[in-house]
Formats: sequence, structure tokens, C-alpha cells
Amino acid sequence: MEVAEHEERHEPEYKDRVMFGFWVYLMTDLLMFTVLFAVYAVLHANTAGGPSGRDLFSQPMALAETLILLTSSFTAGLGMVGARLGNKKQVLTWFGITFALGLAFLSIELYEFREFIHEGHTLATSAFLSSFFVLVGTHGLHITSGLLWMAITLAFVVKRGLNVHLVRKLNLLSLFWHFLDIVWIFIFTVVYLMAFIL
Amino acid sequence: MSNAKHNTTPKAEHGATPSYVTGFILSLIFTIIPYYLVANHVIAGMAILVTILGFALLQMAVQIIFFLHLGRQKSPNWQLFFFISTFGIILVVVVASIWIMHHLHHNMTPVTTADVAKRLVENEGIPQIDGKKTGACEGVHTTYKVTLKGNTITPSHIDAHLCDRISFINEDKDAHYIMFGSFEQPRQYGGEDMLTITNRRAKTIVLNELGTHHFHDHMNARTTGDFAVTPN
Repeated sequence: MEVAEHEERHEPEYKDRVMFGFWVYLMTDLLMFTVLFAVYAVLHANTAGGPSGRDLFSQPMALAETLILLTSSFTAGLGMVGARLGNKKQVLTWFGITFALGLAFLSIELYEFREFIHEGHTLATSAFLSSFFVLVGTHGLHITSGLLWMAITLAFVVKRGLNVHLVRKLNLLSLFWHFLDIVWIFIFTVVYLMAFIL
Repeated sequence: MSNAKHNTTPKAEHGATPSYVTGFILSLIFTIIPYYLVANHVIAGMAILVTILGFALLQMAVQIIFFLHLGRQKSPNWQLFFFISTFGIILVVVVASIWIMHHLHHNMTPVTTADVAKRLVENEGIPQIDGKKTGACEGVHTTYKVTLKGNTITPSHIDAHLCDRISFINEDKDAHYIMFGSFEQPRQYGGEDMLTITNRRAKTIVLNELGTHHFHDHMNARTTGDFAVTPN
């Protein structure tokens, strides 16, 4: 308890620094996605005789992925409200739903990738598909690591209950999750929707 | 658990449930509208492109305001500064990449080989023959004179170097038509099949193709001549 009291005094300043550090990470990660988006924007028409986005993408599937991820971003937010109120049950429920939605999203994405590769449209088919797989795959990897992080943090919440550290971790996790949602919105728009209008 | 309750600040600093609900509803709307517009081909061309990008930006704004709560931190808001500067870099990287690569694509994509030759000759000043560079001929070079009179061509043989010139001078009252190659096997020289030289005029060609070349008078196949072009 004494340790907790001690940390409590420095908490606001420390919390601000951690938040800012994590924010810097998010922004640099965003720059990496930016470069991948720029590459995709430049190469999307270079299909080398292979299929184009219009031939491959399923509009309803992309919409389903988007709605799932948007909802998961919302439930992560509700989980954070619970965390701030110190409501363990609310945290586990909402973040549990977020985790399930994230898993559903990832399953659809992997199913899509598997279909493409099964039909012989791989990373090596064309510049378009290389940039597609790298952009969407990088986002998928982020989702995967987010899910791992969420599973570990929730396991700690179950085991130790909510404490300052876990609330902070959940806060960063939810930031990360909202961030991935923003990146996906642009993937949905630039990759999936634009394939049908350009 | 009461400890957590005590340490965290559920008041003004972070948004509560209503903010998330508003954000969620707005984000759903901003997803469904562009999807509907694209799936049903409601509008086309540049308009749809701008519209869906606009909705993506709105969507991003919703996420940032209602979910990330950017802008609610106390002043000075380093997070907001950092976000804005990142956004600037993003604009530069994306817009400049697309812009540069579009121009490169435009300039580097040949439609036909003839287009390439034309572009090189007109824009770059590089003379082309059958798609091969001949080297631009600049400066002063020797000009040889070939006189056409009746059925004679004098001199009938010329030894010249690359980039020298030959002036065909017509001393007759009628036009002469000088064809390259022999009567049986016409050829081109410098991309030309035939030189039309009207009465008492001259026409000058630049020797931009190596080798020995024959020419003849179109009206009289026996009136022939040749010139040999050797490198400088």
C-alpha cells in the first residue's frame, strides 16, 4: 500500500509522460502506414496482366470488416469507461466483446487472403497485389499484436483485479485500438471502395 | 478496487459513455453513406472520389475527437502538436508521391514507338531514325554540292563524314525527284523516301546515317549517284 501511495503522488506527471511516449509511437507507426498507402496509391494500377482490385474484392466483406472494427472500437471505449470507474466486470465484458470482434475481423481478413492465394493471386503476382498484401497485412499484424496484448492484460485483470497500472495499460491499449480503427477506415476507403470507382 | 476508483479521474478529463455513443453512431453513418454511394453507383468520376475521401476524413475526425479525445489534454498540448505535424508529413508524403509518380508515368509511358521518336525529336532535339539515335548534328560541317542537270548528276560519288551536308542543286527548268536506293529497291535516308527539288532550287540534307547510300532520279532510273558516310 505504501508503494501505491508513493506512486500516487507522481501519477499525473508520469501518466502524461507515458501517454505522450505512446502517442509518439502511434504517430511514427502512422507514418509507416502512410508510406505503405503512398506505395499502394502509386502501384494500384500495375496489375501486370493479373486481376485488379475490382476483380478480387468483395464489397460486403469489406463492409462487414469495417462495421466489426468500428463496433470493437466503440466497445473498447465502453471498456475504458468501466476501467475508469474501477468496474472490473464492465472492463471484462466490454474488452471481452472487443477481443471477440477483433478475432472475427482477423478471421475475415485471413479468409480473404486465403481465397486470393488459393486462386493463385499472391504477393508475387503483381505490384498491385504486393502493395495490397503488405498494406493490409501490416494492419492485420497490428490487430494480431493488439489481440495478444488485450488477452494478456485481461488475464492480469482477472488475476489481480483493476489497479492503477492495469488501468493505464488498458488506456494505452484502447488508444492503440482506436488508432488501428482509423488506419482501417483509410484502407476501407482507399483500397476497397476506390477499387470500384477508379 | 476502491483504490483504482480513487486514483483515476472519471470526471472531465476523459469522455464518458455518451461521447462514445455519439462517436459510434456518427462513425456508422460515415461508413454506410460512402459504401452506399459506391455500391449503387450513385455518383461517378471525380465527385465520388472526393466524396468518399471526405467521409474518410470525417470518420477520422470522429474517431479522434470522440474516441481518442485528442484536444482535451491540458495546455501545452504536445499530443495535438505532434499529431498536426505528423499530419503535415503524411500530406507531403502521399500527395507528393502520387503527384511525382503520375508525372513520371505520364512522361515515361510510350504509346507507340513513333510517339517516342516524335517526342525525342521535338522535345529533346535528338534526331531519330527507326528509333535509333543518330546524334544531333550541330555546328559547321562541310557541305557538298551535287548538281542535277538533264540526265547527269555531278559529282556522282561523294565521300563525306557524319553530319556533313549535301545540297542537291537543280539547274533545270523542271523539278527533279531524287529517290534513295535503286529503282528496284527504294530505301529511306534520314527518314525520307524522296527529295522534291523544284526548278533552279536546291535542297540540303544532313548526313545523319552511316554507310554507302545510293540515290537516283525518279524520272530517269539510269541517272544515279551515291555517297559514303564515314564516322568523324
